[in-house]
Amino acid sequence: MSKAFELSKEGAELVKKELTRYETKHSAIIPALYQVQKENGWVPPESIEYLAGLMGLPESHINEVFSFYTMFNKVPTGKLHVQVCTNISCSMNGGRELAKKLCERFNVKPGEVSKDGLVTISQVECLGSCDTAPMMQVNDRYIENLDFEKAVQALKEMGAQ
Amino acid sequence: MPKCTINGKEIEVPQGTTVIEAFKMLGDDICHYCWHPGLSVAGVCRLCMVHIEGMPKLQIACNTEVRDGMVVTNQTDDVKDTVKWGLDFHLINHPLDCPICDQAGECGLQDQYMKFGKYDPEMAEPKVKKHKVVDLGPTVVLDSERCILCSRCVRFTEEVTETNELGIFNRGDRAEIGTVQGRPLDNNYSLNTVDICPVGALTSKDFRFRQRVWYLKDSESICPGCSTGCNVKVYFNEEGLWRVKPRYNAEVNGHWMCDEGRNTYKYVNAAHRLKKVKAGQSGDWSQEEVFPETMKLGEKFRAAAEKNPESIAVLVTGQYTNEEFKNFFEFVADELKVKNIFHWINNPEKFDDFDGLLLRGDKNPNTYGLKEEMKSRGGFKSLEDLQGKMSQFEWVLVLGPENQSQFPDLKEKVDLLSQAKSVIWLSACETPELDALRAPTHQIPMKTYIEKEGSFTNFKGLVQEFKRGTTVIEDALTLQEVVALLRGHELDYRNRPQPIGGTKKNHFTNVRGQL
Ligand code: SF4
Ligand code: SF4
Ligand code: FES
Ligand code: FES
Repeated sequence: MSKAFELSKEGAELVKKELTRYETKHSAIIPALYQVQKENGWVPPESIEYLAGLMGLPESHINEVFSFYTMFNKVPTGKLHVQVCTNISCSMNGGRELAKKLCERFNVKPGEVSKDGLVTISQVECLGSCDTAPMMQVNDRYIENLDFEKAVQALKEMGAQ
Repeated sequence: MPKCTINGKEIEVPQGTTVIEAFKMLGDDICHYCWHPGLSVAGVCRLCMVHIEGMPKLQIACNTEVRDGMVVTNQTDDVKDTVKWGLDFHLINHPLDCPICDQAGECGLQDQYMKFGKYDPEMAEPKVKKHKVVDLGPTVVLDSERCILCSRCVRFTEEVTETNELGIFNRGDRAEIGTVQGRPLDNNYSLNTVDICPVGALTSKDFRFRQRVWYLKDSESICPGCSTGCNVKVYFNEEGLWRVKPRYNAEVNGHWMCDEGRNTYKYVNAAHRLKKVKAGQSGDWSQEEVFPETMKLGEKFRAAAEKNPESIAVLVTGQYTNEEFKNFFEFVADELKVKNIFHWINNPEKFDDFDGLLLRGDKNPNTYGLKEEMKSRGGFKSLEDLQGKMSQFEWVLVLGPENQSQFPDLKEKVDLLSQAKSVIWLSACETPELDALRAPTHQIPMKTYIEKEGSFTNFKGLVQEFKRGTTVIEDALTLQEVVALLRGHELDYRNRPQPIGGTKKNHFTNVRGQL
């Protein structure tokens, strides 16, 4: 079995507070999973078991939500999680090419972590910022109206090699 | 109570009845997968479409309550068309591998697409590949490609067993049934998921690939696995029994039965059964013809009883029918005046257990009936009195168990008999424990619950009758027949039930060349 997972004290408090906020406990599953992702970078399987205990919900219910949404990382990511939008507006403005070229530039396959552990580049669906296409989301930040140079520049500023 | 009209027929239903339930009450056909009378409403398969007068769009019958004056039909062209295309959606990624699917012949999907003529889905796209032959647990196998995501199985583990093993993971056309991190689906009710799965996605490890269902006959019976007495259907052919499934009875078991009860078909089949009288001692047995040997025994037994009823002890399990007990005690207690009658309780510590759903610790179908029958005769003597006193008895007659797997104390009880002078042991099955017995012993082959008719009284006093399904061992006796033979009466062997099909091995032997 994989090692046990635990949230920070504050994280666990937050999850407990979320539990009382809604009509059903199930509504707190998404905030809880986000908290795990925030603290850990991704959502490891053992955290599902941990949350089940903490929230008093069946593991299967948490896993259903976790596996439904793509925003939860199923595998570890690099320090910078670069999500390049390749939905319609962004694709029409070169989003796909951008994603491909970024992978080449940082020498990493889509969805995988670069050797230095710094970047993961993945393609995602519309991020709701079509007016500034093409765009990408790096961790919590939107970087918009991109071209290749601007994207590389931004990533370098954030610490990518 | 609201009244409504369904397909032109008027019906009055209790408040809160859904349209689909009204259809069922009338016995009218309605296509449905996700709705199950024993589970909550999910409304996900979208096949139970009906047209309700005054409503602009079609509605799902499972999630629409009957209102007074509603006029409902599922016979219009738009309903039929919608169901047909709904079906097409279900078939998009379905492999349609009926020829190798265990559900074929009793599959909801197969029935409907045969009805609607959707022999092939009209999607040109390649089908999504999903997990096949997933080992879900000790009893169930999953084929994800066949699953139509009706969520019945998930709702079952959530609502009935409350064990929550199953879930629907991932999304869209990648969504699959599964357990978290591959943990097993392992509870004593897991095989109910196989029953309610409308397609061949969940199959029983015990039954899959063993028989085609259309070659099986079925008959209604009562599970002898415990004192709950779940109503069941047993499925059999010439070769014996193949499976046991639950039958609805609101008062007893609802729609379900436990996995343990499903095993009760196994000991019925020939390999385990006593076929002749086994006579001998210390494991040295000879096979004797059932009728003459039992009659011979009867002479000696009666003579001993007439000389001194105290020289006879009787040990009874709650494994026989009310009718058998009545007949037996009339003979032994009333006629022969035997007083030493003991109740063999197979697991005294757990006898009163209950798992909260169905299964009870009393692993006998008719303890209640047995006690009732003995009440008027002063009840049982305590088994403790028997300890060390066996040698007092000339004869010990044991109404032994047919479901031996539920008798963990079999060896203990045989040890108790070691001081007896002679033993008559009734059981449907071989009892290897008896090899250790030094006393002259007769093992008499008995019929099982599927081979006889009668009634069991369950834990709360409900008398449930059942009919004979089939005969596996022709020479095996019912308790009434044992009593008749012990009394010295001839049995009319020509009118006894015969096994179906005689020596025929397989249905194909007869239809070969005609297919
Ligand atoms: S496995 Fe069967 S019961 Fe479960 S969701 Fe799929 S089709 Fe329905
Ligand atoms: S609960 Fe008892 S009667 Fe019901 S199926 Fe299980 S063993 Fe048989
Ligand atoms: S398509 Fe890229 S943000 Fe909408
Ligand atoms: S039975 Fe009504 S939607 Fe499935």
